Amino acid sequence: MGDFDFVYITQTVGDGLLFGSTYALIGIGFTLIFGAMGKLNMTYAAASLGGAYVGLAAFTFVNAPALVVFLVSALASGIVGFIAYLTCFRFIPIHNHLAALMASIGGLFFIDEIVIHTTDGSPLTFPAMFEDVMFELGPLGIRGDLLFVFAVCIAATAGLLFVLYRSRLGLATRAVSQQDVAARLCGIDVHRTNAVTFVLAGLLGGIAGAMTAAAVGVLSPLITIPLTVKGLIVTVIGGLGSIPGAIVAGLMVGALENVFLYFRGVNERDMYVLLLLFVFLVFRPHGIFGSAISRD
Amino acid sequence: MSYYLGLVQLIGIHTLLGLSAYVLMLTGQLSLGQAGFFAIGAYSAGILTVIFELPILPALLVGACIAAFFAFLVGFPALRVKGLMLVVATIAFGEFVRLFFFNLSWRVPRDGIEVGPDSTNGFREIRYFVANGWSAWEITTFVWVFVILVMVALWWMDRSRAGAVLRAVGEDELAAQSVGINLTAVKVTAMTAGGFIAGIGGALYAHTATYVDHLTFTVLLATFAISYPILGGLSSVIGTLVAVIFIQGVLVEGLRFLGDWRNIVFGLLIIAAMNLKPSGLFDARTARILKRAASLGRRG
Repeated sequence: MGDFDFVYITQTVGDGLLFGSTYALIGIGFTLIFGAMGKLNMTYAAASLGGAYVGLAAFTFVNAPALVVFLVSALASGIVGFIAYLTCFRFIPIHNHLAALMASIGGLFFIDEIVIHTTDGSPLTFPAMFEDVMFELGPLGIRGDLLFVFAVCIAATAGLLFVLYRSRLGLATRAVSQQDVAARLCGIDVHRTNAVTFVLAGLLGGIAGAMTAAAVGVLSPLITIPLTVKGLIVTVIGGLGSIPGAIVAGLMVGALENVFLYFRGVNERDMYVLLLLFVFLVFRPHGIFGSAISRD
Repeated sequence: MSYYLGLVQLIGIHTLLGLSAYVLMLTGQLSLGQAGFFAIGAYSAGILTVIFELPILPALLVGACIAAFFAFLVGFPALRVKGLMLVVATIAFGEFVRLFFFNLSWRVPRDGIEVGPDSTNGFREIRYFVANGWSAWEITTFVWVFVILVMVALWWMDRSRAGAVLRAVGEDELAAQSVGINLTAVKVTAMTAGGFIAGIGGALYAHTATYVDHLTFTVLLATFAISYPILGGLSSVIGTLVAVIFIQGVLVEGLRFLGDWRNIVFGLLIIAAMNLKPSGLFDARTARILKRAASLGRRG
């Protein structure tokens, strides 16, 4: 608990906004899959952190440079995303949301347990990047690593939007998310398109996972559930299926989280983030950018 | 022997947890927050017997009422959304409760030692049964009296008008509304009843385990809660009981030889079950077939 100090508050909000970009990426992943299939992929955050673990292994065993670590994380998480699609979504009847949800929760515990077994459940240090770089902006400082996280997130989002809105693949994805029957009648292979969506979301998640680990400095299986819950909160606050909503909500949750951390300490921080969701459920149940018609 | 009695107690407690999700699922709502109500029941009843030194029965009932009250409060905002959004809202609620007990520290001296919830170290002194010299048999009977009471109450409710109303809302909300059923009232009532049942389960759990901490009440426990009625089907309360015996008695105990790898297998089993039998292992159709097979057997 600190005093009310204007410069410090601005600094806190700024750091939070930069870190919030990782939540935005996780939120985008959830929202992409929800938009495409109308289902929640609960394995997502676990798969993202799983990707980060593979990236960390690349760093530890072959001393790969930062860029390669991120690429490996993204690729690994994309592969896990594809496997998650095959095991938890592909063969389950398309209108049975409950079964897909349960199966993906099973997948979440499965990935989590594999991570716990390979690391003996202990946290591992993740290489920090640009930790000693610090930009001065008047009385405020901008941490180099957070700025790097932010830049990578913007690049990843831009890449995703490019694929979605400027390629045939993206056209097919959007067609399936709007009307899957009509898309099928136009000759689009729905299963293939959904699988591509999962891989795209997975690539994004791997980057987000590695970014989270780089910004926090450690990777631990204890992060999985909080990251899942925060990703889901970001998705709901932003409006299910809305990419701009996920970005705004992610940055907002990041900033507010840091403010709560400043005033109430690390143990109580997440409680207030969860309360934030209930505030939204009462006053704006369909999120910032969600449509008034409920989709479930 | 006491090991098996412990298992029987655990099956009873998990049946209560599963039934709390069952009531809500009758109205077509899926909640991943049942672990939160279970935690509220556990901590409240524990605080009442340890700090306020009440006997077990009033403590248990008050604990269940507190859990029901919070279920009622959560019901209103959470039930404005449905389906997957409700799943997210209830996960958030469950995690909120867990973090609340993670932070809760309330230590008071009793008989020369400090007792009460001690944030991260958990709540270690819930020794009512030991202090009053209850035998394992008596504890087991006590647990199962509540399980049977709740099961009979739910079974009876299912045969009354209330059951028809709950199922009507679960089958088709629009049709239910058009015959004059108040959707919000029905859903909040189901949520409150679910909270009450989970609260009883939590209170019993705290006293049989003598120790609770925030790590007991994770999303994993909430997943167990909904997986019982999903596997057991919604045709009757017996399905939930069968599913609990199957998961806790056969799978969890039977896989004990796997040691740490057991949890990995649990994840895989959920995935396999959902792929092979997406609408539950003992769904209505399976139940009908079993029934027909049983009656054929009797005739022949």
